[in-house]
Amino acid sequence: METPDDVIHQPVRLRVMAALSALPPDDEGIEFSRLKGLTGATDGNLGAHLDHLARAGYVEATKAFVARRPRTTVKATSAGRAAFARHVAFLKSIIAGS
Amino acid sequence: MSISPNEAEAMLADVDGVVARVKQSRIYQISSGVIMLWGALVVVGDLLALVAGRWTGVSWIVVDAVGLASTLWMLTRAPQRLAVPRRYVEVVVLFIAFGFIWSMAIGGMRPRELDAFWPTLFLFGYALAGLWFGRLFTFIGCGLTILIVAGYYWAGANYNLYLALVNGGGLTLCGYAMRRA
Repeated sequence: METPDDVIHQPVRLRVMAALSALPPDDEGIEFSRLKGLTGATDGNLGAHLDHLARAGYVEATKAFVARRPRTTVKATSAGRAAFARHVAFLKSIIAGS
Repeated sequence: MSISPNEAEAMLADVDGVVARVKQSRIYQISSGVIMLWGALVVVGDLLALVAGRWTGVSWIVVDAVGLASTLWMLTRAPQRLAVPRRYVEVVVLFIAFGFIWSMAIGGMRPRELDAFWPTLFLFGYALAGLWFGRLFTFIGCGLTILIVAGYYWAGANYNLYLALVNGGGLTLCGYAMRRA
């Protein structure tokens, strides 16, 4: 029986993990600004949720300077992908069991 | 934690929506570079046709060869590494073959008609691609086709210059807009 993941369950974090898990594991990740657009979150809100996911070991952020501007890229870790897959399986099991 | 089937369904729909947007965003990101490249090449090709009309055929073959080689290089070397399915390459070959059959054999086209025919043929491909890969492609294909056809009738003797600005410049601008979409 699948169980929910308390970290991923929150809507913004679910969207973040969905976006990051949609990419191949060797992909460079998604820029913070693009992730903001994809999740509909504000800067501060997204930053807090990313911190939460990073503390759980589900995402990792890389900071770099591109054309003298800071750029943060976020990608899902293998643990994050596995947790997301389990959470999706849990959601599907609820629908299947209804 | 208690989640109802309706809530679970809504969450999965949310996940599917985000995944679809990420995939489309990746297609736009990769395609935008290719479209801007072709925009620059079209500007070069049309300006060469303007200043060295005698060599138009040769210059377009060179420009197109550079474009095709660069496109393949960009698609396979992009950070996102896009495997180009053989079917897509076959579609491009079929478009080129169709273009040659009509422009060289059946069509009996003069230089002005050829100048309008080739870009609109490939923009038609953009419009079709939009049905699978995102409406922006269709917008670019249809929008630039309308402008090229309008120029065919109204640009007079400056048609090559018009094409360099409208088709080349248009592709470059659209590619840039697609990158930010």
